[in-house]
Amino acid sequence: MSPPAVLRAAPATVPAGRRPPRIHRRRTSLFARGEPFVWLAGGALVLAAGMIAGLLLLVLYRGGATFWPRPLDEFRLLDGSVVLGEVAARESHRLAAHEIESLAPAVRARLREARGESSRTLVRTGNFELTDTHFRWVEDHLVAAHDRPEWALTVERMAWGRFYGTPRAYRVDGETVAVGPAAAWSAFAADHGGALARGRERRRLEKDGLGRLNQEIEACRLAVRAAELEHGPGSSEHARAQGELADKERDVERQAAAIRARIAALEAENARCELVLSTADGEEKALPPAEIVRAYPANRLDLAGKLSIYASRGWEYLTAAPREANSEGGVFPAIFGTVAMTFLMSVVVVPFGVLAALYLREYARQGIVVSLVRIAVNNLAGVPSIVFGVFGLGLFCYIVGASIDQLLFAANLPNPTYGKGGILWASLTLALLTLPVVIVATEEALAAVPSSMREGSYACGATKWQAIRRIVLPRAAPGIMAGAILAIARGAGEVAPLMVVGAVKLAPALPIDGRAPFLHPERSFMHLGFHIYDLGFQSQNSEAAKPMVYTTTLLLIAIVVLLNLAAIRVRARLRRKFHGVAF
Amino acid sequence: MRRQRTTHARVRVFETLARFLITAGGIATIGAVALIFAFLLWVVAPLFRRAAIVPETSAEEPLVRSPGDALRFQVDDHGVLGAVLFSDGTLLALDVTNGAVLEELHPFGTEAGEQPALYSFSGDGAKSVLVAGFADGTVRVGAIAFAASFPPAGELPAAIRALSPGEHAAEDGGVVQALPDGRFRRLRVQAELGAAIVPEEPAPILRLGHSRRGDRTIACAWRADGRATLLDVRERPDMLGGRPALRVMRRELPRRADPRLGPPAHVVVTAAGDSVYLVWEDGRLERLDVRDPARAVLAEILDVTPAEGVRPTAVASLAGGATMIVGDSAGGVTAWFASKEPEAGTSDGSVLVAGHVLAAAGPAVTCLAPSPRSRLLATGHADGSVRLYHVTTARLLGETRMAAGGAGPLQIQLAAREDAIVALGPTGVARWAVDPGHPEASLAGLFAPVWYEGYAGPRHVWQSEGGSDSFEPKLGFVPLVYGTGKATLYAILFGAPLALLAAVYTSEFLDRRWRAPVKSVLEMMASLPSVVLGFLAALVIAPFVQSVVPAALAVIGAIPLSLLAGAHLWQLLPAPVAIRAGGYPKLAAMALALPLGILGGVVLGPALEAAVFAGDATMWLDGQRGGPLGAWTMLLFPLVAGAVCVAGGRLAGPWLRQRSPDWSGGKCARVALLRFALQGGASLLLALGLAALLAAASFDPRPGIVGTYVQRNALVVGFVMGFAVIPIVYTLAEDALSSVPDHLRLASLAAGATPWQTAIRVVIPTAASGLFTAVMIGVGRAVGETMIVLMATGNTPIMELNPFNGFRTLSANIAVELPEAVQNSTHYRVLFLAALVLFAITFVLNTAAELVRSRFRRRASRL
Repeated sequence: MSPPAVLRAAPATVPAGRRPPRIHRRRTSLFARGEPFVWLAGGALVLAAGMIAGLLLLVLYRGGATFWPRPLDEFRLLDGSVVLGEVAARESHRLAAHEIESLAPAVRARLREARGESSRTLVRTGNFELTDTHFRWVEDHLVAAHDRPEWALTVERMAWGRFYGTPRAYRVDGETVAVGPAAAWSAFAADHGGALARGRERRRLEKDGLGRLNQEIEACRLAVRAAELEHGPGSSEHARAQGELADKERDVERQAAAIRARIAALEAENARCELVLSTADGEEKALPPAEIVRAYPANRLDLAGKLSIYASRGWEYLTAAPREANSEGGVFPAIFGTVAMTFLMSVVVVPFGVLAALYLREYARQGIVVSLVRIAVNNLAGVPSIVFGVFGLGLFCYIVGASIDQLLFAANLPNPTYGKGGILWASLTLALLTLPVVIVATEEALAAVPSSMREGSYACGATKWQAIRRIVLPRAAPGIMAGAILAIARGAGEVAPLMVVGAVKLAPALPIDGRAPFLHPERSFMHLGFHIYDLGFQSQNSEAAKPMVYTTTLLLIAIVVLLNLAAIRVRARLRRKFHGVAF
Repeated sequence: MRRQRTTHARVRVFETLARFLITAGGIATIGAVALIFAFLLWVVAPLFRRAAIVPETSAEEPLVRSPGDALRFQVDDHGVLGAVLFSDGTLLALDVTNGAVLEELHPFGTEAGEQPALYSFSGDGAKSVLVAGFADGTVRVGAIAFAASFPPAGELPAAIRALSPGEHAAEDGGVVQALPDGRFRRLRVQAELGAAIVPEEPAPILRLGHSRRGDRTIACAWRADGRATLLDVRERPDMLGGRPALRVMRRELPRRADPRLGPPAHVVVTAAGDSVYLVWEDGRLERLDVRDPARAVLAEILDVTPAEGVRPTAVASLAGGATMIVGDSAGGVTAWFASKEPEAGTSDGSVLVAGHVLAAAGPAVTCLAPSPRSRLLATGHADGSVRLYHVTTARLLGETRMAAGGAGPLQIQLAAREDAIVALGPTGVARWAVDPGHPEASLAGLFAPVWYEGYAGPRHVWQSEGGSDSFEPKLGFVPLVYGTGKATLYAILFGAPLALLAAVYTSEFLDRRWRAPVKSVLEMMASLPSVVLGFLAALVIAPFVQSVVPAALAVIGAIPLSLLAGAHLWQLLPAPVAIRAGGYPKLAAMALALPLGILGGVVLGPALEAAVFAGDATMWLDGQRGGPLGAWTMLLFPLVAGAVCVAGGRLAGPWLRQRSPDWSGGKCARVALLRFALQGGASLLLALGLAALLAAASFDPRPGIVGTYVQRNALVVGFVMGFAVIPIVYTLAEDALSSVPDHLRLASLAAGATPWQTAIRVVIPTAASGLFTAVMIGVGRAVGETMIVLMATGNTPIMELNPFNGFRTLSANIAVELPEAVQNSTHYRVLFLAALVLFAITFVLNTAAELVRSRFRRRASRL
């Protein structure tokens, strides 16, 4: 940067006789560069980016590791007891003086030397019915020996959580057919598939067979109640309905007996076999294979074996219903509920959002009212989501739903049918919540269509609707799509309003199923976001549920991020496609 | 030939249809949006409706044979059937809507057929339990109840079957009501009496008071010989369906010092059974502490009517039995309850206080009727007026009078459903239909401190639900608003500077090619579901931070210091190297300064813990050890450092600017480093000095500014809410900065300004309103955030400055309590009010931000 000309000319004005001042290149002072400020600003950016990267990496790592089969560690303690299980966490801590005093002399001396610093390991010990605990802290200074026994088995069960032990024998009809870990394991492995299939068949019979019969009876009871309400007790219609109910009950009892007999047969077949395991402490426990979801000798697995366990657990996670108070098994109902709710929501929000935007941009007379409405709609995007939940509960569930119940489901009262939280009300609430997103995006997309194109279309004789349908909407479609996707992403991740309008921790049935009328908009549903909240905060065994929460978090983030990326892609394509299109 | 071109009919139809559908759909959609506000308002509005008292019926027939002879008047839940007990043991059942006597009963007849005079009686409306004392000194526990049965319509006379729903008629000594569902309910007065509890000394019982909890009755009987007995009666149900077996514990209360006083006018036993209040005719009250009945002591003596010549005329116990209402001859109505006070000097550490003065003066009070299930109180006065009060908020809800005469009601009752007041006067019975509205939720009740029973003084408390029906709901909104403010403050304190600085760096200093990807990554952060953030905050970050408190505090300070130190070291690089490395290497150096800062914090943590927190941060915060000097230094350091920086800039800045052009780059850098070090040192010394002053004046920041460490606390919430706030503020701020026209930037650079000077003097002032908007919208987001605060704060509605403690916000409170709130109850409507408040706050914030932004846009477009 050359110095200004004025400075060069300056010496000329210096009176004669004095030494002219030294001319030098004036450079920008270092203090003017504001380096500290720039560093603070740059640091803030790096910190913000680092925070999100750290969060995503944490969730990715912890969520991804959930299904990986961990080795089984055996700790032989100084007092002779043995602890077997998966290592869940390690931490270091400092022992208080009185705690050190109560220890054996040798350990005491070592700890004193370390000034009370010790570390401990959280071991998932399972075997809840024997020990009344799922986890146990093992103090490192109390461990005499540490080992990874070759035949230690991780057993995931239908109930009671995990079991850790070594196979001892395999019994059929009470007779031992295999002795020793290897033989017992292979005998079990041969039988396990069949036992599981019988278990599935039994559950299917219970749910589809007995469940359907119960529903038929319930329908008849409702018919009786409806007849009583409509024609009064003792009327001929009422008596007929009662007669039908009695017939139905007899009929159902006959069918149910047959189904129960089949179930009993399956159970008897499953009860024949038993895998005998011994725990680390030497206690014996016999488990029927049908009770075992999955078992594997954790320390014998090679990479392929581990991968197959990983894949099997992952598949179960995506496709099965939860077990064990949601802390094991899968999240299929939650995925299904989230998708169904989001789908219902978008069916409502996209058409209405587009209609409102079309009205605001194309039909309404532009003026102060429309700009006020626009501001209001914009602001609605900033209104807390819980407020929408309050609105949904108050209006949809308690007023609209209760009126529907009065009109159509009076027989079921006082049990509400629509007058409580359900997937329909949740979708409508979230539709209102995401409406501003769609309206704003659509308006922007409509505004981006050059008016020259509209005018051209009018000049060719098109009516307003024809111009909108043939010229404006196709041009704006990608923008509308992007808006819709953003709305879906927002809706899929929102939990607070759902807590009040219908998400539940465990829904007995899916909102869409194979029974008429197939779509059950009044049913409560499970939701991935609510699942996270529930698992993390309402679960009795929250330590065991933690890996599951991470995985569910990962799944939810993946869904939301993918939707967002899709919206960004669509928008970018729109920009490229129509960039500079103007007549 | 010119062809006539016409629009096809189908096109016309479609055109009209489309116009109609779009207009209708558009307006309906926008209407739905407006509906939210209207609906919330519609639900909230009844909260502030006034109570209504409508006279319904009054019977002029004198009913009470000798006025004042009625010991007790009681009505059923619906306020239809009444029962009057006279001192000779006669019990009359009457229809309170017309005063007709339906039945006369003599429930106290002994086996021999004689009727011992009933000397004393005490009853409570809620469970209609009564304790009767007789002339021979026996005491019996019993009940006057209203037995309901549902007879089949066929058994009823035709006149009753013709009743329309809601109406009732006299039948067979009772009344029959027609119900909306077509059934009939028959009500009859029923008096049951337990076995006689025979006294050790057969002296007549003059006064009785009792309280009842479950199957346990604690009664205090004042005998004619001037002594009092405490009876603890437990009923054990008989397996064969006979009378329950009684287990009685009897304790003589200490003999009075002054026997000349005579018997007290009223005896009250608190529900917990821990105190007995004896009230004399002149207002003297003695409180006996009977927590241990074997060692009952006189806890305190006071005067409930301190004014000269004023007598207490009516005494009643409020639902829950912890509050006693005293009405006096000067018209005063006062609520008394025990309040724990540190310097009470009484045996149980509490003193009886007049928590609420419902009325100070007026016509003399003749009778009191507390509601059996809430804090409502009906009072009858000598001039015939009947008033309805809400005790907790000390509000007069409504007033009405007896129809004729000026005589005051003798007995008054508030029906259990709180939909009727029934009064028994010398001229007959009168009934008023009542709608108390939602008295707990007055503006004062919601926003002003209220003296709840058991508290030491007026407080802001939110506790909407308790274990029992007689729980006093505490609907103080202020702790929730405070919690919301606290969450927002910490989130903005952390998020806004970070986001604004990051936005300035992105738009002014970052390589153009990097801007778009960086921005979309941060925007992605905005779409992270908040339940995810809440989960991480509560189950990962909070436990982790708790295990490293001192290090975490050190890191907060170390990161900016390490960045500043990095900047000063960077300046030491020779100019050509610095210019060549100005791009990615510089960014990498900044990125390196962060982990170095964190590392520094981790290393410094234990030293900080030893120096400031006396070796254990949690115990220090708990107030268990250590002095305040280090903590004051730490708290003051950021403030002092800011002040020193400003002062240094003012004092040394002009001199440096004048001299520095002559210096070489290296010298400049060395001087800058020196200044940085000097400022840091000076700040530390100054902070230490101020802290020493404060410590010498024995000010301790504990408990107050800081306090006990709770795992889920405001600091953690602030940090995690930062994730939610930063992307929004960043995006909007970046938009505002990049919309500053480039010619301003170029002009400034061309005039010789450095990029920093351009950013500070030109770009940021131009975009200031946009930046302001960004922060406002960030505040709006933080105010309404639900899941993070719900999961990561512990949800305790407390008001403390302490950043290491939890709180409860409006939004989390809604999420926690709304699913359990009964539709249209006060609680339900108050939660709607919370939603409305949130709606209004965010709407106002966003509208203000929108207006500022549109002005900014207009100005920016003119530049």
